[in-house]
Amino acid sequence: MMQIRKLENSILAGGSLLAAVLWTFPLYWAFITSIRTEDRVVSDAAGLIPDEFNLTAYASALFNTKLLTWYWNSIATSVIITVVVLVSGMMCAYAISQMRFPGRKLLYGVVLASFMVPSQALIVTQFILMNDMGLINTWAGIILPQLIVPVVIIVYKQFFDAVPKEMREAVVLDGGGDYTLLFRVYLPLNWGITTALAIITFIMAWNQFFWPFLVVTTENMMTIPVGITQVNDAFGVYYARLMAVALLGAMPVAVFYLIFQKKVTEAVMISSGVKG
Amino acid sequence: MNYVKRLLAAGAMSFAALPAFAAQNVTWWDFLSGGDGVRMKALIQRFNEEHPDIQINGTTLEWGVPFYTKVRTSVTVGQGPDVMTYHLSRMPLGLEENVLDTISDEDMAAAGLSKSDFFPASIAAASDENGALHAVPFDIHSIVLYVNKSYLKGSRFLDDKGNVTGIESLADFEEAMALAKANGSDTPLSYATGDDGGTYRVFYTLMKQQGGELIADGQVLPGDNLGKAAKAIEIMTHWHEEGWQPEQAEYPASVALFTSGKSAFHMNGVWEVPTMIDLAAQNKLGFEWTAIQIPTLLGTTATWADSHAFAIPAGSKMSPEKRKAVMTVIGWMEKNSLAWAGAGHIPAYKPVATSESFKEMEPNATYSSLAETAAYDPRSVIAGVASPVYDASINIISPAMHGYMDPQQAAEQLQAELQAKLH
Amino acid sequence: MAMITNRRRDVAVAMSLIAPFVVTFALVFLYPTVRMVLLSFTDAPLIGNGHWIGLENFKRLMSDRLFFTSLKNNGYFVLLTVVPTTALALAIALTINRLKGALQALVLALFFLPYILPVSVVTEIWMWMLDFQFGIIQPLFASLYGKSIPVFKNPYWVMPTVAAVTIWWTNGFNVLLFIAGLRNIPQDFYEAASLDGATRWQMFRRVTWPLLWPVTALILTLQLILQLKIFDQVYLMSKGGPFNSSYVLLLMVYREAFQLNHGGYASAIAVVLFVVIMVVSVLQFQLLRSRGQK
Repeated sequence: MMQIRKLENSILAGGSLLAAVLWTFPLYWAFITSIRTEDRVVSDAAGLIPDEFNLTAYASALFNTKLLTWYWNSIATSVIITVVVLVSGMMCAYAISQMRFPGRKLLYGVVLASFMVPSQALIVTQFILMNDMGLINTWAGIILPQLIVPVVIIVYKQFFDAVPKEMREAVVLDGGGDYTLLFRVYLPLNWGITTALAIITFIMAWNQFFWPFLVVTTENMMTIPVGITQVNDAFGVYYARLMAVALLGAMPVAVFYLIFQKKVTEAVMISSGVKG
Repeated sequence: MNYVKRLLAAGAMSFAALPAFAAQNVTWWDFLSGGDGVRMKALIQRFNEEHPDIQINGTTLEWGVPFYTKVRTSVTVGQGPDVMTYHLSRMPLGLEENVLDTISDEDMAAAGLSKSDFFPASIAAASDENGALHAVPFDIHSIVLYVNKSYLKGSRFLDDKGNVTGIESLADFEEAMALAKANGSDTPLSYATGDDGGTYRVFYTLMKQQGGELIADGQVLPGDNLGKAAKAIEIMTHWHEEGWQPEQAEYPASVALFTSGKSAFHMNGVWEVPTMIDLAAQNKLGFEWTAIQIPTLLGTTATWADSHAFAIPAGSKMSPEKRKAVMTVIGWMEKNSLAWAGAGHIPAYKPVATSESFKEMEPNATYSSLAETAAYDPRSVIAGVASPVYDASINIISPAMHGYMDPQQAAEQLQAELQAKLH
Repeated sequence: MAMITNRRRDVAVAMSLIAPFVVTFALVFLYPTVRMVLLSFTDAPLIGNGHWIGLENFKRLMSDRLFFTSLKNNGYFVLLTVVPTTALALAIALTINRLKGALQALVLALFFLPYILPVSVVTEIWMWMLDFQFGIIQPLFASLYGKSIPVFKNPYWVMPTVAAVTIWWTNGFNVLLFIAGLRNIPQDFYEAASLDGATRWQMFRRVTWPLLWPVTALILTLQLILQLKIFDQVYLMSKGGPFNSSYVLLLMVYREAFQLNHGGYASAIAVVLFVVIMVVSVLQFQLLRSRGQK
């Protein structure tokens, strides 16, 4: 009996590892393609095993495209979005959780409902709005419509609700106001959740394609996900270079994920409400 | 305090002094990549070297839908370039979208040009109904038949001087393809069968060679034109079934099939001429090539054609100095368009097109006769590059000829879908 | 008196706290929604004014074949993705849950990795994998069907392929949620069941499945909303073709607004899409919740 169990477990272990490796095969293949010469990529001899290590495609990706500019746009806009979303989200969540004011229930209802609203359906009028404000092809134009992330408020509210009332009273007795409470008590008590939400918001903003694609009109304002699609034409179809650009574009977040794997998976779990 | 004031004053002065030395920066958008793009970039560089007071900042965007979508949105929100390349086939659409500024006679004069320097047909194509000019024509380009002579050696399709001959009907052409196939050509006729432009250009040529009209009097494929469209798709389907044309070839693959020697024939725009010339010069082609006018396969001599032109976006608030600089750029490009003819095109500017140097240029001279039978797109808001007609080519014609739909049915769907867009 | 001013001050502070979110929300969400509805009754271009034409756009929509094709394709895509990805994620999560230590972390990491990639990276890689001429998967097709398949140009293959790529990309997220859900199930439930002599299948039926149902319902809802909004993958891989067989509503909104300059008509389609998603997700949410409570 024990033996069967053991065998079963090793089959399970081996099988699932194999499945997981197969699952990531496209990434492996992209990498192998990217370190080959263009001629070899399309030759019949190109096998599954890496047989050359050629970095031409990477050099060309870095120097013949505006990849570095796109990195910069992506980083800047994603960081700004993350900071603004978190700060405005925690302020709003604090008010909903800890304060009494007219319209509180309504506000929370709106936040919950907007979770289901498809913002993509608003592209036409959001575009018109950005144009009215003169923000087409600017960072502000990329950022503004991405600032509504209701899940941040929902999660913060749940966590603020759970903070013991005694912590509040001490500060209030000292004459501290709500801002002090939020930034001196509630925020420090919830650094973990803040990191988690920051990670999620950042990844979401970094990977955003549709909106930046609409609002950006020139190559030097593009973000990584949009820029990558431009390379197709600048190069013609050169697969090694395409794959090199794609992998370079994916790299920052992928590396971050591989290093802080636990933190990221935890962040996903928390922000979707399945783990408190 | 005094110090700060002095500093500010100095700053202000240097700013005031700046314009005198600063060059006019002209933002330029085009969609030219590949062999075309290289030649255009060289022209821009030469211009910049010769004009210290005007600098062109060129951006190349993806040809077709991405370019024109970007242009339309950017221009309507006032973020367009100072000058851009534009297809004359798209003029009706451009006028409807209101993205093209009027180019006045004074503008032309500033460029050192006048309307009479161009062929009347291209001036008409670049003007609106009231005769106001909205673009300066730069070239005429069409598709041609590239030939790899090695597959035709010793056959009746090559005369003793090595010229391609004897293709005077569809039957002749299909015989030549069968022969090339028998001589070892994998895919005797390559064109971009999985690409909107590649499919459309061949389809439209076959339409016009039957004397057909795609759009007439606001009707899509009226009367017997529906049957002609079906016939054109049927011919392309037949080429597919015989294995003469490649399956779902993207544009670069279709060129590669010819340059790698696998295809005896290649139907594509004159803009690939420089590719062949360059490869032949480097001894990388490995065969003798030529480019000829598309043979008359279906009774009427006709070839799909279009023109590149320069346009200024509507609603731009550029200063008179900047506008003058832009016109200087356009004028210079026209006068130096012999270099552009090196990209296979036929110049639209008559002094260059009729010059001895152009007449001696090969292979342009071999096919320049086609200008007389060039078949431009119908003048309609649904036609032209990146128009619904192009969309329908990739969405309907290309899959149909690959056997996913009967030609007659495909022609009917083409008609229904395009007619709906004309409302 | 002091109480009242205090209360007033409190309300003022609360307002200042909610202001950043509320103002942004009103600006980039509420206002565009209202404007979208208004615009849908006009013949306006993307930028610029139009005339009020009442329900004309919606009438036209009812006779627009492409609209119904798109609607049908949206439905087909939902069918191809929502339940399959949920089932697949559950299977993977159950397996991962039985692994231990570093191996568990590794397998989870590998399954999750695609989720953090930008959509254009995903589509570039898969277009290369499935390239008609040089794609590494084509030999597999050739051995199964006797020839290569241009998946993005074939009307029958295009939607299932886009769905498969989508599942590959987003599945890791669902796996993760299931794992979190599994970890929330107290171990004693299983111990009690095994004392009763329950088989593994019975344990799944009686313990895992009912206790996991809230997570399953959440995933189904999230997936449904997400997949109804499909645009990126279709735009990047098939552009809606061939024969419109991958044309979807959001692509239609984009084409009408940004390519054909019909702001009013595009807004009408967007309104329909908006309503469809709201209705469907509320319905599903209610449906799944009531089922879970039984």
